[in-house]
Amino acid sequence: MRRSVIVVLLVLSACGSGQLAGQDLPDLPPITGEELAITLAESGRPAVVNIWASWCNPCRSEAPLLTAAHDAYGDQIDFIGVDVQDNQADAKNFISEFGLDFTHYFDRDRSVPEFYGGFGTPITFFFDGTGTLVDTHLGVIDERALALGIDEIVDR
Amino acid sequence: MEFTLLWAALTGVAGLWLGVRFWARDDSDSLFDNLLLAAGVGLLGGRVTAMVAQGLNPFTNIGDLIIVRGGVSTVAATVFAIGAFYLSGGRKTKVLDMAAPAALLGLAGWHLGCLWRGACLGTASNLPWAWSEAGSHITRHPVEIYAALGMVLGAWLVSRLPRHTGIRTGTALGVAAAVRLATEPFRLSITGGPVEWYSAGIVLGLAAAAFSAARSRSRT
Repeated sequence: MRRSVIVVLLVLSACGSGQLAGQDLPDLPPITGEELAITLAESGRPAVVNIWASWCNPCRSEAPLLTAAHDAYGDQIDFIGVDVQDNQADAKNFISEFGLDFTHYFDRDRSVPEFYGGFGTPITFFFDGTGTLVDTHLGVIDERALALGIDEIVDR
Repeated sequence: MEFTLLWAALTGVAGLWLGVRFWARDDSDSLFDNLLLAAGVGLLGGRVTAMVAQGLNPFTNIGDLIIVRGGVSTVAATVFAIGAFYLSGGRKTKVLDMAAPAALLGLAGWHLGCLWRGACLGTASNLPWAWSEAGSHITRHPVEIYAALGMVLGAWLVSRLPRHTGIRTGTALGVAAAVRLATEPFRLSITGGPVEWYSAGIVLGLAAAAFSAARSRSRT
């Protein structure tokens, strides 16, 4: 019995949290709120902008969902990550660990969330194709809320 | 920090409490305690399972256990909750049957908790009772209200069935799975939802109810 428990614990320990190959990635380009607003308006596509940080435990929890959403809707809308109050090395490891295969920017001073009026981390902003902010979700986002936000901006 | 999920959970607990008061007055205190324990174990088991499925190690990310909003596996939560209740109860079949309608009413409360969370809406609809997100022009099915009503109706139906035989327990499992499956097409989803597990729940529940009914008939 005890041996079985140890085996189960070892198997669970081996699950998830694969380590790190992020240092091969290029540094994340810096961005401010004003610059992001221009980027969104010029792109002409709806966008989900996720504010995250490598030190943020709730961000780890929602990262797999964002990856799944990007796989499902990446051809219709843009997914943009904004890493706040972080350092480049940890940020790149985080991106690599969760396979967040979309555009990310670096925002050490929280310029982007302050520009759009969000506090805390994580935050998810939903923008329509003109770059207009449609909805803001503070805190960890669940599957239903993310799907609803995406459906709102895709249908506009 | 926001507490809307906590309010939704409390609405579920209120439904559970009402169900126990309505349908299991005799042993209401111990039954309610055991149901709360089962709900807690189910939530924890469902959260750990969801973390493993998402690639998060529950040992190295132990703080994530409390981030319920990050995802809870419905199937694992159900299995853990039923298992915990089964192990904590006294006379198994009798206790499970007493708890079955109350558990459905608790689930109804959890779904109704969408009103606190602002998460009632699903796919777009033009039906007269559809409503929209604040600031949106797209009206949608209030799918979680549908689910809550389905669970209430199911609780009432199950409470009309014979006690102490296991029929209520099996039927309640089938009803809960059927309500989730029937409302799934109205939900917005990214990963598709566990429809195959809901189907399995219906089959398993109805099989358990049929087996219990046959065994009960053969005894009498």
